Amino acid sequence: MLHIINVLVDNHFGVLSRISGLFSARGYNIESLCVGITEDPTISRMTVAVNGDDSVVDQIIHQLNKVVEVIEVSDLTCDKHVERELVLARLSTKLNNRSDLLEVVSIFRAKVVDVSNEAIIIEATGSTEKIKAFIDMIRPYGIEQLARTGMIALARSNKNITDSE
Amino acid sequence: MAAGASKAKKAKKKHPKAGTRMEGAEMVLQVLADEGVDTIFGYSGGAILPTYDAVFNFNQDRKEKEHIRLVVPANEQGAGFMAAGYSRASGRVGVCLVTSGPGATNCVTPIRDCMADSIPMVLICGQVPRPAIGTDAFQEAPIFNIMSSCAKHVFLVKNEDDLEATVRSAFDIARSGRPGPVVIDLPKDVQQHFGEFKGEGLLEFRGYDQRKEARAETKLDRKDAAEFFKKLKKSKRPLIYAGGGVIMGDASEELRKFMHKFKIPAVTTLMGIGSVDTTDDLSLHMLGMHGTAYANYAVEDCDFLISVGARFDDRVAGKVADFAPKATEIAHIDIDAAEIGKVKAVTWSHNGNAKLALTSLVKYGKDVKTSFSAWNKHVKALKKTHCLNYNRDAELIQPAEVLETMNEITKGEAIVSTGVGQHQMFAAQYIDFKNPRTWLTSGSMGTMGFGLPAAIGAQMACPDAIVVDVDGDGSIRMNIGELETMTTYGVNVKVLLLNNEVDGMVRQWQNMMYEERYSGTDKNLHQKDFVMSAKADGFEFAKRATDRKKLKRYMEEFIAFDGPAFLEVMTDKDAMIFPMVGPGKNYKEMIVGDFMVAREPEEEVEISGIGETSMF
Repeated sequence: MLHIINVLVDNHFGVLSRISGLFSARGYNIESLCVGITEDPTISRMTVAVNGDDSVVDQIIHQLNKVVEVIEVSDLTCDKHVERELVLARLSTKLNNRSDLLEVVSIFRAKVVDVSNEAIIIEATGSTEKIKAFIDMIRPYGIEQLARTGMIALARSNKNITDSE
Repeated sequence: MAAGASKAKKAKKKHPKAGTRMEGAEMVLQVLADEGVDTIFGYSGGAILPTYDAVFNFNQDRKEKEHIRLVVPANEQGAGFMAAGYSRASGRVGVCLVTSGPGATNCVTPIRDCMADSIPMVLICGQVPRPAIGTDAFQEAPIFNIMSSCAKHVFLVKNEDDLEATVRSAFDIARSGRPGPVVIDLPKDVQQHFGEFKGEGLLEFRGYDQRKEARAETKLDRKDAAEFFKKLKKSKRPLIYAGGGVIMGDASEELRKFMHKFKIPAVTTLMGIGSVDTTDDLSLHMLGMHGTAYANYAVEDCDFLISVGARFDDRVAGKVADFAPKATEIAHIDIDAAEIGKVKAVTWSHNGNAKLALTSLVKYGKDVKTSFSAWNKHVKALKKTHCLNYNRDAELIQPAEVLETMNEITKGEAIVSTGVGQHQMFAAQYIDFKNPRTWLTSGSMGTMGFGLPAAIGAQMACPDAIVVDVDGDGSIRMNIGELETMTTYGVNVKVLLLNNEVDGMVRQWQNMMYEERYSGTDKNLHQKDFVMSAKADGFEFAKRATDRKKLKRYMEEFIAFDGPAFLEVMTDKDAMIFPMVGPGKNYKEMIVGDFMVAREPEEEVEISGIGETSMF
């Protein structure tokens, strides 16, 4: 099953290569990997989505915990969490059913971020599932180019009231 | 850990050189001296010149006994294994100093070898100056990337102000937790940069430091001990399974106390040899693929397996599900949380330092009464009935016989290093080891060529010990250049070469699994005269034994010789190493060969021989 692992790391030179190297050296398959600095600029957060059974993921967490720059590792899969991914899709505007497309955009609460005579770029955010559904919906309109960020995630605090999808 | 703590205290006193302005290279030497380094193994070159110059200056300014000795190998791989041998034999961090590019890449094998066997070592390699990094400069190689996959940690010193703390941190990381090799990639311009020496300070690693502290505070408490003893009291046939962690964690003394207090027999892994005295009645010697039959039978029979610093690897538990099949309880003590439950599920575990854990178990078990006399009797009978043996009537000299002959003289007191292959396994089986850190072998990586340089490093760490490199003709060729290093530095190592003119171990597999198609393993067309080679490298004692009658006398002269000595013994290429649990097989399928006694199986076991397999 797909696990979402959050890794906090010292924001040092080469840390991404250390982490991604660990995954490839041990034969783990990364579905997506996202890195960015946190509220503390000396710390980066990596969100790794990885496929594997519980014992494999357990081993991944143990191995990550041995990397010198790793501060904290948490598996968010079973905990309540919020996950988001952003996608940009460029579609040809030479389509005659643009209004249908815009309807899909609106249903998914996506937005048009660039438009020209030739092309339209749409931005959508959401869970991986929603992004997948969105891409499936716009695919018939002819996707010219697609870029995805990969998933980022944060654990929910139990008390927080969070906006639903 | 104790040494680290006292250092921390010392650091509070101001360093005599604090505030002095000096070159980066000089700072490196100063930190090495502060860490107690007395020997550096390495090879010079363009990008590391400033640091070699600093070694020269450091020694020129000091009395001879304060010198940091520089040992130059024939090849940087040799330097890496010398540092590893030094570390394995002494427990101190080995240090290796090489240049950029090929100098550094030649150290990849020893670094990976140290990582796989958890050996603390610091490798400092020169790098092209910072502005040249990434330009495909002369002797540039991406060492950070290459070593990241092999080492416990790698530093590329990009900021000259971090240099001093980086070198200090490298030692701290190498020796703390599960030990391992740390690489410092050091650009030439950083070595040349002038700055102020602070005399203290480590780099901050929030996670690693916190885990280190947490581990230091993890005690095996009364409750954990009570759980353990509940299982031990229930057990009728407990067995200690000791690994390299006992040796690296300096826990041999505590393990022996624990073993004797409760009269629990012990098997050791290849890496754990020496953790208990192999001549002890409770010692069953090595288990696993080429373990003794009685050790493997004891594993089959035990109902409570107590693993200390061992990791159930594929040479021990080839078929995990069938490993220790009657053990209803398995305990595991390990410094590395990732090893607990990685291969085999356990019913009791302690993640922490083995020395402290065993001390606690002995303390809390003071009044625990156990009696395993029936089991002890059973084990004793196993040892007698299924003892090691070989063809004693053979016409040609048998490898086991050579090592038996050596053991009669060294009696478990020598430090022994090995190459990799049949000779390594024969040495593990037939030589006794009374003390930890006296058996030096490339266990996990299985690096041929390890023996010669490792013996040099070990002898330099322990100049009063008898150090023997038991080598094979295949393995010794890999780093044969280091023969000359022995005579150059007058290193008193005994090189015992078992020459069977084949790559024996691989040939044995070809014999058993590939219908005797000896692809690439026959060396009888090779022209090398090893004795002449040793003589050419300046060995005053270099002899060859082809005749059984001379073996004992040569061996005595060889061990007694004062200085580097070389003895080649021509052995039977058809001698196979047994017992053997085939790759991926369980212990019931162990083959003992024609000269040892196998046990009648309780149930029908089909020993089909070892066919071609994807298992390795």
